[in-house]
Amino acid sequence: MADAVKSVKTLKVKVASPYMIYFDQPAISISGVNKTGPFDVLVGHHNFITLLEPCELLIKTETEEKRIRINGGLLHVKENIANVFLDI
Amino acid sequence: MKQLNEISAEQDAMQSVVGLTDVFEGLASMRIAQIKDQVLSSEQFFNELWSIYSLVRLGKQFSYGRQESDAVQDKELFITITAEGGFSGDIDQKLIDWMLSFYNPDKQDLIIIGHHGAIQLAQAGVDFKRYFKLPLHDNNINVEPLIDQVKQYKSTTVFYQAYVTLMVQDIKKIELRKAIVQASHKSSDNVISEENYIFEPSPQVVASHLESTMMQITLTQTILDSKLAQYASRFRSMRTASERANEMMRDLRLEYSRTRRHIADERLKEVINGLVKAGGTL
Repeated sequence: MADAVKSVKTLKVKVASPYMIYFDQPAISISGVNKTGPFDVLVGHHNFITLLEPCELLIKTETEEKRIRINGGLLHVKENIANVFLDI
Repeated sequence: MKQLNEISAEQDAMQSVVGLTDVFEGLASMRIAQIKDQVLSSEQFFNELWSIYSLVRLGKQFSYGRQESDAVQDKELFITITAEGGFSGDIDQKLIDWMLSFYNPDKQDLIIIGHHGAIQLAQAGVDFKRYFKLPLHDNNINVEPLIDQVKQYKSTTVFYQAYVTLMVQDIKKIELRKAIVQASHKSSDNVISEENYIFEPSPQVVASHLESTMMQITLTQTILDSKLAQYASRFRSMRTASERANEMMRDLRLEYSRTRRHIADERLKEVINGLVKAGGTL
């Protein structure tokens, strides 16, 4: 299982609010801001749960950079899957 | 007997009523479809959040997103969701009457949502702690002021109108904590702890944030369910009004034809009488 996770080259990123999905596709990285400051999540990141501060999420895919302005939320990272649950 | 122009004017007025009720019926039907989509989408979001929360909370009871230092009143909070205006039949009255059958001012505080319900409570001489307008829009409903109130009480019960089908609406009550637990699906994943996860800032704060978010979703869902029932009730009222207006249109058309025939008959009679008086024979 761990080897399978390491061999993956992209994260599966989803950014959603209760009523809308803003982003749902593979990405190379996702960057945001929490209480301690800016952070990046790349492939192989340790399991991670953080509350997000109001910021601009930056999601880098192989072809583009997507920026999403948020008011806050929660990021859950596990086994190269990053889910952002935006605040209502 | 009415004049032809009077009947014709009534027909025009009735035609406008048919047109208006059809428009309201169409609008209500469209809103129902939109809200149903929203409810489905937020249910999925809720379940994903719950699957994290159930693993983070480590067996703790749901605590309404409160911090341990927050003061809690030894009272229950009743939240009643009614319509903002008319056009929604008698369902609000039923809801208020039903809620009042449980209400004891010494044990419960009351928050009313919707102008229609607030007026009915005022007429019944019942005091309420807060009144909120029912949001006119169906998206991005801000329930934060409600959550602030909910956190102050040991428990909260919501009374609302529930959508069963387009033609059937019901009144319901639900204890908020139970609503949240019932809405969740059990997860079989491993427990999330500081041993296998990095938390920022801490598991307690994360769990508390998740509780607040799930409470917001549940309250929003209840408001949406209530709005769904109100739109359905309005749809039904408009459908009945439209049918009644169409019946009246048929009656007016009949009356119009009858009056026109009567006038023609009278004219013919006058012509014949005139001829007879003039000395002619038939």
